[in-house]
Amino acid sequence: MKKIGFLFALILLFNCKEQPKNTSSKTSTHAKAETVEISYAEGFSITNFEDFKIVKVNSPWPKAEKEFTYVLAKKNVTLPDTLQFDQKVTIPIKKIVVTSTTHIPSLESLGQENTLIGFPHLDYISSEKTRALINNGKVEEIGENEHINTEVLLNLNPDVVIGFAVEGGNKTFETVNKSGIPVVYNGDWTETDPLGKAEWIKFFGAFYNQEQKAEEIFNEIEEEYLSAKKLAQQAENQPSVLAGSMYKDVWYLPYGNSWQAQFIKDAKANYLYAETTGNGSISTAFESVLDKAQNADFWIAPGSFTSYEQMQNASEHYQEFNAFQQQKIYSFAGVKGETGGVLYYELAPQRPDLVLKDLIKIFHPELLTNYETTFFKALE
Amino acid sequence: MIKETEIKPILQAQELAIGYADKIVAEEISVEINAAELVAVIGINGSGKSTLLKTLTGNLDPLSGKVSIQQKSLKDIAVQELSELISIVLTETHFSQNLSVEELVALGRQPYTNWLGQLSSEDKKAVQQALELLEITDKSQRKCGSLSDGQLQKVFLARAIAQETPLIFLDEPTTHLDLYHKIFVLQLLKRLTRKTKKAIVFATHEINLALQLCDQIILVNQGKIIQKTPEELIKSNLLQELFPKDLVEFDAASKSFRVL
Amino acid sequence: MQKTSLYLLSGLLLLLVLLMLNISLGSVTIPLKDILASFFNAEVEKETWRYIILDYRLPKAITAVLVGSGLALSGLLMQTLFRNPLAGPYVLGLSSGASLGVAIVILGGAVFGGVFSTLFLSKFTLVIAASLGSVLVLLAVLATSFRVKDTMALLIIGLMFASLTSAVVSVLSYFSPSESLQKYIFWSFGSLGNLAWQEVFILAIFWLAGVIISIFCIKNLNALLLGEKYAKSLGTNLKQNRILVILATGLLAGSITAFAGPIAFIGLAVPHLVRQVITKSNHLVLFPAVALGGAILMLICDSIAQLPGSNLTLPINAITSLIGAPVVIWLLVRKKKLYF
Repeated sequence: MKKIGFLFALILLFNCKEQPKNTSSKTSTHAKAETVEISYAEGFSITNFEDFKIVKVNSPWPKAEKEFTYVLAKKNVTLPDTLQFDQKVTIPIKKIVVTSTTHIPSLESLGQENTLIGFPHLDYISSEKTRALINNGKVEEIGENEHINTEVLLNLNPDVVIGFAVEGGNKTFETVNKSGIPVVYNGDWTETDPLGKAEWIKFFGAFYNQEQKAEEIFNEIEEEYLSAKKLAQQAENQPSVLAGSMYKDVWYLPYGNSWQAQFIKDAKANYLYAETTGNGSISTAFESVLDKAQNADFWIAPGSFTSYEQMQNASEHYQEFNAFQQQKIYSFAGVKGETGGVLYYELAPQRPDLVLKDLIKIFHPELLTNYETTFFKALE
Repeated sequence: MIKETEIKPILQAQELAIGYADKIVAEEISVEINAAELVAVIGINGSGKSTLLKTLTGNLDPLSGKVSIQQKSLKDIAVQELSELISIVLTETHFSQNLSVEELVALGRQPYTNWLGQLSSEDKKAVQQALELLEITDKSQRKCGSLSDGQLQKVFLARAIAQETPLIFLDEPTTHLDLYHKIFVLQLLKRLTRKTKKAIVFATHEINLALQLCDQIILVNQGKIIQKTPEELIKSNLLQELFPKDLVEFDAASKSFRVL
Repeated sequence: MQKTSLYLLSGLLLLLVLLMLNISLGSVTIPLKDILASFFNAEVEKETWRYIILDYRLPKAITAVLVGSGLALSGLLMQTLFRNPLAGPYVLGLSSGASLGVAIVILGGAVFGGVFSTLFLSKFTLVIAASLGSVLVLLAVLATSFRVKDTMALLIIGLMFASLTSAVVSVLSYFSPSESLQKYIFWSFGSLGNLAWQEVFILAIFWLAGVIISIFCIKNLNALLLGEKYAKSLGTNLKQNRILVILATGLLAGSITAFAGPIAFIGLAVPHLVRQVITKSNHLVLFPAVALGGAILMLICDSIAQLPGSNLTLPINAITSLIGAPVVIWLLVRKKKLYF
């Protein structure tokens, strides 16, 4: 009897001990925090605690004033009361909905593409692996015009929705949040550094408890990229490069500080608009572009054109450019998936090494003699 | 036997029935208008004066019967030819206020000008004459939007005169004019008939003046249309029946309507 | 009459001056000597400059003249035909028809032709689509014009067609991806600088046809200033005149919208602006005056839209309304009675 009593008291004491653990967790959890190393990306951070992780996204859209805090934890983990967060996500993820094709390569490299159960505008997806899943009916179409069909999404009941927003929140996502499904914003598209964009694979890694694998994959990409960059430095010349195309008589091309422009620089070429800074695309008068870039050695990414004839039909001004006459135009718009999705938009963010090598092959073919470009092809 | 001196009427209506798809306004109408005649169409409000004028000028199809202008059936006359035969003056005020008096009167010459509407010296002369006749030459450059109703009426009259047609139809041409100008205009119309041999037909409420000045009166009353000279009309008792008797009566002695 | 001739002559001179100015100004600063050299086949500092002057700015300037004069003239035609100061060239639903045609190609292609439409938007596709749309609406209006006695009813019918086409465009827009929407919206901003010489030539032919037909309407339009009853009494064939006027407007405004997109404001405002200077009502005088006025205003607006010296350009529609509307307001507020 006394023994039971003593045991009882011990258990009570033990329980008493555990409670203070929650309230004084502030000090104890911080002591055990471990920040994941992120070298290039600026838009997110991952901090590992004992039983949970905190993922912060500070750039879900350009000029975002708010930072989003997401807590990732296993199912039965109790979180400290003082912990403030926007969403709690139960990991590891078994069912996921993503909303941009840029999310697909991360899922595939982590081997988690079969957790994908829904996606808006399925036709955009190029990757064969995921297309196989789609063809087998494993992935639901949740797109409705420019929006997401809330009903269908709710019905799928994923563990998490990886969303993206262009400006501010999204009504659909708020509705989804309210129903208990966490929506997490992915801001990979705001990164301007090519390796920074690719590093977001670590973001996905955290959700699947595959941080190590993600790091390995990224390190490989980083190595390939940096060695390609080094190779490019060996080139003797630095060709001038034009990008973009016109609508009516207004020319649209990337800013000098944009993600696309960075590649041109790393491939040892001179982007004629490298001095410009801003978000989105520059819109400039046709006259200025002709005056400035008529003699550009190369022309890449002319909008969605895939042939010289198309360009001719759209505007006869194009043939005034040297690059047009010398047939030095290269576009990624021609490489498409089974259902018409442009591969570049999907895979390039995750594989900057391939993009860089493509450009090096184009600008300095002598450096990569046996290489076949993945995205950029010569215009027909 | 047709006498050589027999005047052929400029306008003739035979067995005419006028009205609209859903309503007959008057029937069994026989009217004859000769050159150099001043004819007044009188009747109470809503009796059908406007309907009659519309039918006689070709703006409304008759329900039956026919109208002839210079012995030619009205419906066989093309719009262009008709514009040289009939000119009109209406009570409508919906026109471009930006027109100057001279421009408006000059529009009366359209049947005669070239394909661009340019005025020849003859056209210009006709315009000036019309302006002088109505004594509005001093106002020729003013915008019509700045004129009083009475002045405007004179301008439209001048336009009809400038059109130089053998027939002029006027719908209540003296409404906005003071007594002096009422008489001035009607005397002018009478002079025109004598001088230019025009036939001038006008609908009016000025029965007293009409009886004194006109050659023929067309009376529209209760679906019946009767044409008589003023003397014949006075002798018949038709004028007594025109208005309700409690307020006004026709006095044959003074040949005018008097307040009771 | 002398005063009017003076005005017309000075208008013509102003037009020539503005033409030179328009060609001289642009995003790229080109010195005057090189501009002149481009015209006279002489040596130019940079060959690209010759191309810019002769193959970009010159066709743009001529387009501006055709568009400005054509729209102003059709605006005048509509205002007189309908006896309505608020009428403009698009009152018959012409630009709505063109918008519908273009929307079907740009938006419909994306919605119905699979996610990535294989129909490539060459320039002629859009021109033809816009023309077909305008012609369709025009035919509908003409057909109703035969069965309708009252010209006013045509005005309302035109407005109704405009509403109808807008509704269809709305539905198409709702289902369209943002890229296509942007393309469509940019088309609706209007653009003068997009025409190659060949297209300018075709536009000029339609413009000429429209102008010639409208010249035949001058006399009738003068008569219409008194209203339809008087016009008829003066020998005007009302039905035939209506058809000619609608046809002329269709050719002018329709071809302009097909090639340059819907250009706002000019057709409505220029007749009023010109009437502040020219007080005559005779359309024989108003026609050249309004045509000159439209061309002049369009050149000014285009020069401004080019934002000379800067790399940016503004959409022409924004400029025409931004500049034009306050001018009209100012003129009318000056206590001058609006004689219409």
